[in-house]
Amino acid sequence: MLEVTGLTTKYGAISALRDASLTVGAGEVVGLIGPNGAGKTTLLGSIAGLLPIDSGTIRFDGNDITSGAPEKILRAGLSLVPEHRRIFADMTVEENLKIGGVTRSGAERAELLDEMAELFPVLRDKWDTPAGYMSGGEAQQLAIARALMSKPKLIMMDEPSLGLAPILVDLVFELIDTLRAQGRTILVVEQNATRMLRAADRAYVLRSGEVVATGTGAELLDRSDLFDTFVGG
Amino acid sequence: MFPNLKRDVGFPVIGSVVLFLALFGGGLIYQTILNNGSAERLVTTMLIDAIIVIGIQIYIGNTGILSFGHIGFGAIAGYVFAVYAISPEEKLKRIPTAPFGLTDTQVSPGLAILIAVVVTLVFAVIVGIGLARSGAQSGSVAATVITLALLFVTHEVAKSWPELTGGNRGGISFAIGESLEGRALILVVLFASMLIARLYGQSRSGRLAIAAREDSLAARAMGVNPLVQQMAALLLSVVIVSVGSSLRVWQIGSILPDRFFFDYAMLTLVMLIVGGRNSVTGAVLGVAVMTGARELARRLGQDGFEVFGLGLDEAPLDWVFRENLNSVVLGLAMVGFMIWRPTGILEDWEFDQWLYRRFGRGTQTEPGRLAELDDVPAATFEASGVSVAFGGFKALTNAGMTAESGEVVGIIGPNGAGKTTFVNVITGMVEPTDGAFSIDGVDLTGSASHELSRSGLVRTFQNLRLFGALTVRENVEIAALVAKEHRTERTLRDVDSLLAEAGLWEHRDRRARELDYGNSRRLELARAAAMAPSFMLLDEPTSGMSDSESLTMIEQVRHMAATVGAGVIVIDHDLGFITGISDRIYVLDQGQVIAEGTPDEVQANARVQAAYLGSAADR
Amino acid sequence: MTELLQNLIDGLGRGSIYALLALGVAVVFGIMHLLNFAHGELITIPGYLTYWAFNQGWNWWTVVPLIIVSAVLSSLLIERVAFSRVRGASDFTLLLTSFGVHFIVAAGFLLYVSASVKPYPRPGWFADTIAVGSLNIEVFDLAVIVVTIIVLAGTTWLLQRTMFGLALRAAASDFDTARLMGVKSDSVIRGAFALSGFLAGIAGVFWIMREGQVTPTAGINPMLQGVLAALIGGLGSLRGAVLGGLVLGLAEVLLRSWLPVGIQNLTTGFVFVMIALLFIFRPGGLLSVPQVERV
Repeated sequence: MLEVTGLTTKYGAISALRDASLTVGAGEVVGLIGPNGAGKTTLLGSIAGLLPIDSGTIRFDGNDITSGAPEKILRAGLSLVPEHRRIFADMTVEENLKIGGVTRSGAERAELLDEMAELFPVLRDKWDTPAGYMSGGEAQQLAIARALMSKPKLIMMDEPSLGLAPILVDLVFELIDTLRAQGRTILVVEQNATRMLRAADRAYVLRSGEVVATGTGAELLDRSDLFDTFVGG
Repeated sequence: MFPNLKRDVGFPVIGSVVLFLALFGGGLIYQTILNNGSAERLVTTMLIDAIIVIGIQIYIGNTGILSFGHIGFGAIAGYVFAVYAISPEEKLKRIPTAPFGLTDTQVSPGLAILIAVVVTLVFAVIVGIGLARSGAQSGSVAATVITLALLFVTHEVAKSWPELTGGNRGGISFAIGESLEGRALILVVLFASMLIARLYGQSRSGRLAIAAREDSLAARAMGVNPLVQQMAALLLSVVIVSVGSSLRVWQIGSILPDRFFFDYAMLTLVMLIVGGRNSVTGAVLGVAVMTGARELARRLGQDGFEVFGLGLDEAPLDWVFRENLNSVVLGLAMVGFMIWRPTGILEDWEFDQWLYRRFGRGTQTEPGRLAELDDVPAATFEASGVSVAFGGFKALTNAGMTAESGEVVGIIGPNGAGKTTFVNVITGMVEPTDGAFSIDGVDLTGSASHELSRSGLVRTFQNLRLFGALTVRENVEIAALVAKEHRTERTLRDVDSLLAEAGLWEHRDRRARELDYGNSRRLELARAAAMAPSFMLLDEPTSGMSDSESLTMIEQVRHMAATVGAGVIVIDHDLGFITGISDRIYVLDQGQVIAEGTPDEVQANARVQAAYLGSAADR
Repeated sequence: MTELLQNLIDGLGRGSIYALLALGVAVVFGIMHLLNFAHGELITIPGYLTYWAFNQGWNWWTVVPLIIVSAVLSSLLIERVAFSRVRGASDFTLLLTSFGVHFIVAAGFLLYVSASVKPYPRPGWFADTIAVGSLNIEVFDLAVIVVTIIVLAGTTWLLQRTMFGLALRAAASDFDTARLMGVKSDSVIRGAFALSGFLAGIAGVFWIMREGQVTPTAGINPMLQGVLAALIGGLGSLRGAVLGGLVLGLAEVLLRSWLPVGIQNLTTGFVFVMIALLFIFRPGGLLSVPQVERV
């Protein structure tokens, strides 16, 4: 479904990604793990069209979407839940969700709103509250719900458990399970490697901008050298 | 005041002479060829424009703050000059009821210029304070609007206070224009302005202002207080603009509110922008180019193609060649340059510096290696009980650490653990809810960034903040300039030696923004070292580096710190790097210090492993 | 008491026009961080069209829509020709670009019309007043206030209730994230300029009526009042812009009535001094938007 080949991205002089490749098949949950600064966020940002790409190609559903504008890539069916959630703090929960469904027709948007209210009971209770007043866990759910409002074929999440208390981290992973059960395709960047590997069908390990390992979640969990990737050695 | 006499005084003097001769000589040639009164007036006008534009360049060029207000200052100076310089008889006709007994006062034009400068300076100080309060920095919108408001106030007052200014109709006119014979005074002032502008740009204050223009945050982290330098640049520039404006009034022999308003502000800005606002050479070039372009446009507007001696029967393009074409040319030049070349023709190329690099410097040899300092005064950094809460979210709870000089202390933790918040607290960016930090018992909590670095805690930035338009050497020099003033109790290292030490010797003349990543990091390190810090705080020095680059970074950090006798506090996500470099490590997770010890102790700690891999042991 | 009430109404009338101008400035500033020094041209251009239309025998009934439509189109045209080419450039570049646009438009009229004042008739009811008790309310002020209330209500509805309004607000608060949600950058920026032009058009109707004449530099004053009002309220805040406009209008009228007769013509100067004081003590404006310094 998503095919990234030989992606290289630079921030000024900084090479944030070097020749990174990955694929995501329909219905899969794929994890992207690696230490901080490994280039995970850059990879998602490059796919979503937020960052300029130096070389490599990105294909989605057979179409070349390399270096497309973010709004075009979303319309192709790829939605990103950005790092730090980046909800619109001054706007209400409902308004945030509506923006998420900006590409949908009015009737469809209303349907999706009902669907989100059901999927995320927390949001229903805060429907008319400005999103800036929500706690980290609530805001994360809003960010995910907002991304779902575009009915994406593939949803990408950047560090959904960042800055959340352990119990809320559980909630995020439960949510990923729920979405998987609905048959959605998900690509998640996560720092919580063990949890991610348990939740994912497959995963890629990134280090210093390069893909250094790949396999099913279970395979990678058994890799004894994985700890070194994070802790060094 | 000047880091290098030859480069910062000698060559600017030579350069100013050449620039002056080029502009004046060019004018003289034009005037000789045309040999009429209007050509002479045009050249005189150009020379005075040049004075005013150079004055404006001192402020805009060195601080990066767009100002419309300098023409407002010009109006103030122009009116003050006028009411002092004209004769009482003339004043009885124009402003018989002037306040402050001005009607009967008359002083010599020279003294009137002096009075104009002093009065205008008073206004400049007030405006400068307002600008500082508004948090003016390079490109700041609010500052620009304040200067725009000044332009309007002066215009408004000039229009609506006819008792003093003669108002909008008659204005003040006086017949001292002819006494400006031979333009000797204009020439002297023009040369002086060029020289002053160049010397200021090379001076300590100018260098620091430029550093703040390039990156305000980084400049403050190097101990620069941008507000002080901006004020210095403002006052100096206002002096020159005031003199230039007085000369303008003297030249024309009268003053009207509209002379120093939007149109003139536009003209001077276009002149500055077209040549390149960051360089005096650019300002002068812009004056010459725009004077020529406007004159051509004016004559094309009047006479069409006949200007070129083409006696065409039918005037082609007569819908373009109309009166006032020169105004349109101004607007088009402004928008065109903003779209296609916002930095102007010359960017920040400065003639005398090119001359210096080409002919003045001679051959240089790379300095030898520096020995490590072993007699540095011992210093202790201590942070205790630091807590930060944003709303209800506790980013940091009771965090504390110590570091001694000569020691490398690592701080590590997963994403969101509170590392950034901790860095923000000890760099003065975030005020802690609770707790304090100090060096040698001197409390530094709540100090501004530039005070912290002067006190010996000097930081680097995660995402690299160099003074991009300055050369590699100049970057380090900025820090050395500040150290010379504020770090006198420490051993100060020579700039060239530090460059050699950081492996940047061969790159010293390149602009910082042209460096590759590894060299940029090394430059940041060398710049921090030049501050002669007690402690260097390195914020994610390896982010975006490959493993092998990180390894060499370990050596460089340790060596650089030993060279200036500084302790090191290093924050990084990469445990491999941290364990390789640190003598002791603090581990943060969820806003708290969860472990402290030697690298081996920390690596063996189960809580640390849990925090990093999120293993089931903890959750 | 009567005098104060009278002044308040005068001030509100004046301030309403400023509020509409400031709101237009703020909408564009929010979306692309451009403080539009060419905002006044959205009054100059319709002003000249008004002059032209009256020469063609039009009347105010047909001129009013002409003013509004031409303001919207001018705003879109200026965006297309100039501002779309400097999107994302530094603030310095944006400021000078808009200043240059102002100059080109003004110089264009200088070139093709002339520097002289071009008059046109004010509407017949312009100087009419209605007596309410001891108050003499100008019909003009009343019209301004009523229309402004309607337009502000409509704008609020647009921003709060329509998808376009939501997209505009989202893009103003976080442009990249809004694009990630599928908001089209071109459409939302053009929409912002259209809205800004519409608000300037409404303000322009009254401004043009009140002036009764137009010159190439007619845009300078409305631009300055709009920009200052937006800044008084706090750049980036739409509510602040409206508030800033009203405060500016009231300050002018009240100050004029309080100042001693001899120096009344210096009112504008004093207003500027007050604004300067405001900036010194509250640099962010009345409803300042917190600025987070990013490392």
